[in-house]
Amino acid sequence: MRILLAEDDPMIGASVRRGLAQDGFTVDWVPDGRAAELALSERVHDALLLDLGLPRKTGLEVLTAMRRAGDARPVLILTARDAIGDRVAGLDAGADDYLVKPFALDELAARLRALLRRRSGRADPVIAYGEIELNPATREVRKNGELVALSAREFALLEALLTRPGAIQSRAQLEDKLYGWNDAVESNAVEVHIHALRKKLGADLIRNVRGVGWMAAKPDIAA
Amino acid sequence: MRSIRRQLLVWLLAGLSVAIVGAAIGTYLRARDEANALFDYQLKEMAASLTDAPFAGVPPAASNVAPGPDTLVVQIWDRNGVQLFMSQPRRVLPQHAQLGFTTISTESGEWRIFSTLSGGQVVQVAQPMSARRELAASLALHTIVPLLAVLPFLVILIWYTIARGLSPLDRLAADVARRSPKLLEPLAEANLPREVQPLIHALNGLFERLGNALAAQRSFIADAAHELRTPLTAVHLQAQLAERAGNETERKAALSELKGGLERATRLSEQLLALAREEPGVPDRPLVRVDLASIARGVVADAVALATAKGIDLGADANGEVSVRGDANALTTLISNLVDNAIRYTPAPGRVDVIVRPERAHAVLEVRDTGVGISVNDRPRVFDRFYRAAAAQATVAHGSGLGLAIVKRIAERHGTDVELAAGIDGVGLGVTIRFPLAESA
Repeated sequence: MRILLAEDDPMIGASVRRGLAQDGFTVDWVPDGRAAELALSERVHDALLLDLGLPRKTGLEVLTAMRRAGDARPVLILTARDAIGDRVAGLDAGADDYLVKPFALDELAARLRALLRRRSGRADPVIAYGEIELNPATREVRKNGELVALSAREFALLEALLTRPGAIQSRAQLEDKLYGWNDAVESNAVEVHIHALRKKLGADLIRNVRGVGWMAAKPDIAA
Repeated sequence: MRSIRRQLLVWLLAGLSVAIVGAAIGTYLRARDEANALFDYQLKEMAASLTDAPFAGVPPAASNVAPGPDTLVVQIWDRNGVQLFMSQPRRVLPQHAQLGFTTISTESGEWRIFSTLSGGQVVQVAQPMSARRELAASLALHTIVPLLAVLPFLVILIWYTIARGLSPLDRLAADVARRSPKLLEPLAEANLPREVQPLIHALNGLFERLGNALAAQRSFIADAAHELRTPLTAVHLQAQLAERAGNETERKAALSELKGGLERATRLSEQLLALAREEPGVPDRPLVRVDLASIARGVVADAVALATAKGIDLGADANGEVSVRGDANALTTLISNLVDNAIRYTPAPGRVDVIVRPERAHAVLEVRDTGVGISVNDRPRVFDRFYRAAAAQATVAHGSGLGLAIVKRIAERHGTDVELAAGIDGVGLGVTIRFPLAESA
């Protein structure tokens, strides 16, 4: 999952970014409100982590503009202000959740996963797909109940495909999920990872639509 | 304790008593004068009525009426000095040679005498003065008795009036007692006597100053708590990352970041403390004669290592002794804040100059650099605490936003202000502070 982090404090930004990366998120970090809007317009992020006290354009302004533009992506507010008024204003402006600083990285990751899960319409945190089970919290994938070892990128790719089963996703879309701005994209990386996934989980799981992209085949088809 | 009520009562009663005694004396004196005139007229009339009747050897025994104290004594002599008549044989007054009115002293007190010569006879009518005095005294007594009778009522009236007049003070006391640090509204001035108004004005002025000081303190604490939360959040996150570290390399990197976070939080709390020391309301340390040049040299010596590490040429031009009246600790904080700022916001290779020189009646402190400077738009605001100019934010991520606020407070306490301009050769920032030169000891 690719997350946009808008946070002006460099130490907090760096720590959140590293912590979320350890939890399997790809994090892009912007230090002010204008940069956040610019990044949002790329539409590659699955969720926004928003600090309210941003320079140049406040978090609340970014959020309001985003919702007005019809952007429904999940937004989690990070705020140093614990005044109830700020939180209420944030939620009223269209935020999905909030965390008051200082917060635990584990809690932040858990809330992000919950937001992403809710957005894809699932209540169960574990994505079950035929004989395959993917648990975003523990980052474990089981086939017929047996643990399958996957690399971080392989997991991210599988998660991207399974969250929207039946939808064809292009190479660029999938690359966006796998790589942040600062990561060098290896050529053919998507093919390499899909090859590995097919090998580990079965050739039928991921279907290639030539010239368009990849999709997770419907479970009944796959079975 | 002195009581206004008792004091007023004592003085009013004393005044009243003096007035009553004065009235009595005045009445007595006037009554005596009137009695004198009246009785003198009476004596004269009596003498005149007697001169028309010639006496010839009327035996004195014929009259044996016992004399009253105020009785008139009439005596008549012929031209040879033979007494022809005396009204009261027991009261014998000497024949007085002088005609007309006289007052004489005898064993039986003072007598008023009128003598007249008519038809070869001397008629002398006498009356004791005590009679007149008694009349006057009785008149005076009649005047003051009613006044004395009214006195107790007056005391009650005065007591009540004073209580009534002072009751606004009781209400005021209750009103003041209701005030607390949370409730410092001005006292109502309506319905209070004019005499109490100055007190109300003074109290309201005090409440206002107190309220402002408290509000400033509250906002300072709120700001401080808010600003401390950011570095503490960073430390919190850095500690979690260190905890999660899977191997030695990761742990070392995480701990090094944690150390950076702790240094930043420490510096912020130190800056907050420095600012709190300069907050209005804190008792000022006394200003004494200190050598600004030597303080500047000391600060530069301390900062050289940092400057060199950053590739910045830091130097002092502060020779000899330039004395000002100041607080050495505060001035050290002021100069080191300016030098720290200059080093922070000057990219390598750069230069920072610290200059102290006397200029007429001033000791001028200048800290100039070749750094990013402060735009003209930002200059008025950089002294607000926690305000950070955009250029500053872009250059140094972890400034506290307090350095210049502290500098300004300290400068103000030393009776001067901070001027911002361009720095060396029009680049960077130049900060100038003019202290009044200390008079030579």
